[in-house]
Amino acid sequence: MTEPILSVRDLCVDYATPNGLTRAVKNVTFDIAAGEVLGLAGESGSGKSTVAFAIARLHRPPAFITGGSINLAGTDVLALNDRELRAWRWRDLSVVLQSAMNALNPVLRVSAQFADMFKAHGVSGKADIRARTADLLQMVGIQPERMDDYPHQFSGGMRQRIVIAMALALRPKLVVMDEPTTALDVVVQRELLEEVAALRHKLGFSVLFITHDLALMSQFCDRVGVMLRGELIELSTPSAMIADPQQDYTRRLWASIPPLHPRPGETLVRMKETPQ
Amino acid sequence: MAFLLRRVGFYVAAFIVAATFNFLIPRLMPGNPVDIMFAQAGGTLPPEALAALKETFGFIDQPWPAQFVAYLKSVFTWDLGLSVKFHPLTVNEVLLRALPWTLMLVLTSSLIAFAIGSLAGILAAWRRGGRFDSIGAPIALMMQAMPPLVTSLLALFLFAIYWPVFPTGYAYDPEIDPGFTLEFFCSIFKHAFLPIVTMALAQVGGYLITMRNSMINLLGEDYIVLGTAKGLSDRRLRMAYAARNALLPTVTSFAMTLGASFGGALVTEVVFNYPGLGYTLFQGITARDYPLIQGQLLIMTLAMLTANFIADVLYVALDPRLRKG
Amino acid sequence: MRGLLKTLFANRKAAIGAAIVAFFILVALAAPLVAPFDINQRVASPHEAPSAEHVMGATRMGRDVLSQTIHGTQTSLIVGFAAGLLVTVLGTAIGVTAGYFGGKVDEVLNLFTNISLVIPNLPLMLVLAAFIGQTGPFVIALIIGLTSWGWGARVTRAQALSLRQRDYILAAEMLGEPAWRVISFELLPNLISIIGFNFIGSILYAVITEATMEFLGLGDPMVVSWGTMLYHAQSTSALQVGAWWEMAAPCLALVIFGSGLSLINFAVDEIANPRLRTLRVPAKVLAALTNRSSNQGGRA
Repeated sequence: MTEPILSVRDLCVDYATPNGLTRAVKNVTFDIAAGEVLGLAGESGSGKSTVAFAIARLHRPPAFITGGSINLAGTDVLALNDRELRAWRWRDLSVVLQSAMNALNPVLRVSAQFADMFKAHGVSGKADIRARTADLLQMVGIQPERMDDYPHQFSGGMRQRIVIAMALALRPKLVVMDEPTTALDVVVQRELLEEVAALRHKLGFSVLFITHDLALMSQFCDRVGVMLRGELIELSTPSAMIADPQQDYTRRLWASIPPLHPRPGETLVRMKETPQ
Repeated sequence: MAFLLRRVGFYVAAFIVAATFNFLIPRLMPGNPVDIMFAQAGGTLPPEALAALKETFGFIDQPWPAQFVAYLKSVFTWDLGLSVKFHPLTVNEVLLRALPWTLMLVLTSSLIAFAIGSLAGILAAWRRGGRFDSIGAPIALMMQAMPPLVTSLLALFLFAIYWPVFPTGYAYDPEIDPGFTLEFFCSIFKHAFLPIVTMALAQVGGYLITMRNSMINLLGEDYIVLGTAKGLSDRRLRMAYAARNALLPTVTSFAMTLGASFGGALVTEVVFNYPGLGYTLFQGITARDYPLIQGQLLIMTLAMLTANFIADVLYVALDPRLRKG
Repeated sequence: MRGLLKTLFANRKAAIGAAIVAFFILVALAAPLVAPFDINQRVASPHEAPSAEHVMGATRMGRDVLSQTIHGTQTSLIVGFAAGLLVTVLGTAIGVTAGYFGGKVDEVLNLFTNISLVIPNLPLMLVLAAFIGQTGPFVIALIIGLTSWGWGARVTRAQALSLRQRDYILAAEMLGEPAWRVISFELLPNLISIIGFNFIGSILYAVITEATMEFLGLGDPMVVSWGTMLYHAQSTSALQVGAWWEMAAPCLALVIFGSGLSLINFAVDEIANPRLRTLRVPAKVLAALTNRSSNQGGRA
């Protein structure tokens, strides 16, 4: 069994409030193998995005990591100082965020946004940078001639492709995707994910995929983890989870997907947990 | 471009409204402004002037609409009539003499305040809750609560009277002949120093708060998070990603503040006896020189509109989303 | 509403600001009782310096500056509140009407508002005051009120526009509620914080503008207010002869009262816009967190 590319052990994230600390992520432990797609599912507030951001060290006060370890390809992520952290960012781990609407800086040209990323990681030479940018855009199906346009001149789907191209620029080991297709329509969604799958086969990166869309997750992910109130309550392949859910919550979560052909008399499953 | 053209149209409309105010106010006010002016002028006005004034203020037999048309014509040809207090100068001549001084005060102080305030605001927002922010933001607020009136009086007293470092008034030393000499420019600088500093102080707090709040409002945006994730340097993030976007609302507020600072200039000029538009207006009010007062309103409105237009142009230049395509 | 007030006063800045404003209101209400001397009597030698008897010195006419400041508080505050109220009422009415009804109504009102914003306020007010002649404090309040509503209208309109499309408004309309009811009971309660912010800002603006106009000679010199005190001080060259106290007292009053209002507004802004709040993390919590020094996030 080869070493996992990402190793998270007993991760705890707390939020500081005027009344004390609230634990948002409780002792979460999981691995991601090289080239694997791991999905994290759960309701809003279950902590899945918090985990994703913590792993990428993008969480900000009032969120604090208060325990556990994160190891990405041999690097102790939590021990990195500021300088090391900046070098590590994007090179080993990149992110794709939810809303393509806002993920790109509206006042800078797309080429400039690739360029500053390259320059921050030691790539200099304008011609070299532009050539690499052109290649990346071509890889996701965007015409390289449009490199100098502004983000608002692209459609939502195209913007998300640009973000994905940028995310893969430095050949990272892990790409964290936080609801990357939520703001897009179904057709664009599918195209995008097929694109990502193809790129994954070509380049071999792992993906941490956060979404609340279970149907999507079962098609796209190798393994799925279910989060509930900050805890990772179950972790296995989609088919295993559907066939034999270990937890009651998991069973109800999967059953809550409205079927395409409902049987007569079938009603939606109540997901509401008993009040805390 | 369509955007800018629409703005120009709006400004023309606003100017006409200001001119209309000028037209209506003397005709609606109680009493006869001409008699008041005449009494105030104390016999220095010749009878032709009296007739001209009567015509300007509508105490003749033509119906108002005809008068209005005639008035608009005179405004657009910039024929503002004769000044009463500064007779025989025309209003236009009086205003043009004063305009450069006010422009210098307003522009210099606004630019200084904008630069310092915005840079400080960027720092305050970037290190939220840090030392600079916790002290700086409340201080900026206190400064905003200080009216330009108080600041000018304070500056005058402290630095011109108590410690006579700076002169107490006027634009330059009357002993020096105006000309392109170093001596003259030094004198101008010395006399302008306190008024400019006063006005800059009155505005800097506002710019700091505007920039700070503008930046804070966008610090949670996705492109900032993504920028951080890319491993960009603190400086690049702060300037090209945060500040550059926060600049847009700040530019709008700059135009509005410019208008307010004309009012502030007014007060500062009176306190320092500085011969700008504000001081001239003050003299006009005291002397009940109505044509001058009306001309003042028009020229200050014009200045405001120009400032707003410049802000519009800047906004288009700064925000690529507004450009065609 | 009560919840909002409670949150407001839990905020330190708001509490200090409110205390300052309350103090001034009390002084204004109790002016004749609190002022040590009659303001129209000569009770000291001209330009007498501050002493134990005359804490803030005397004017050129030998009148007690402290007593004048106290009585001036009354006038200045009344004008401030009256003008502030007028500005807020006008601005809110126009802004909400434009934002709620939209369409042609909005276009016209918005044009109106924009024009009023682009014509410089102070010169317009001076022109009005000059033509009216000797203007007492109430006329000044009226002039301020009628010319300065633009900012409030614009801000209120923007808020009303964004709230207009919320579900509860649309639901109320579909239920057949008349416009005035929807506005009064559904829309306005959600605009409270912005209206409050405008109101306090308008009071501050009005007090300062009134003082400025009176300083420039447009007030009634017989009335005692902070502005007319400054006017008299200026015309008797108080600063030049070194009688700084005559200017200092009304200036101090203006600044302190203004700061009180500003503090309240800063707090209102923080409450209305949670992002602007500075997080007050209890020291114990922070200590526990920073002990784990290797666990800093992306940016402190």
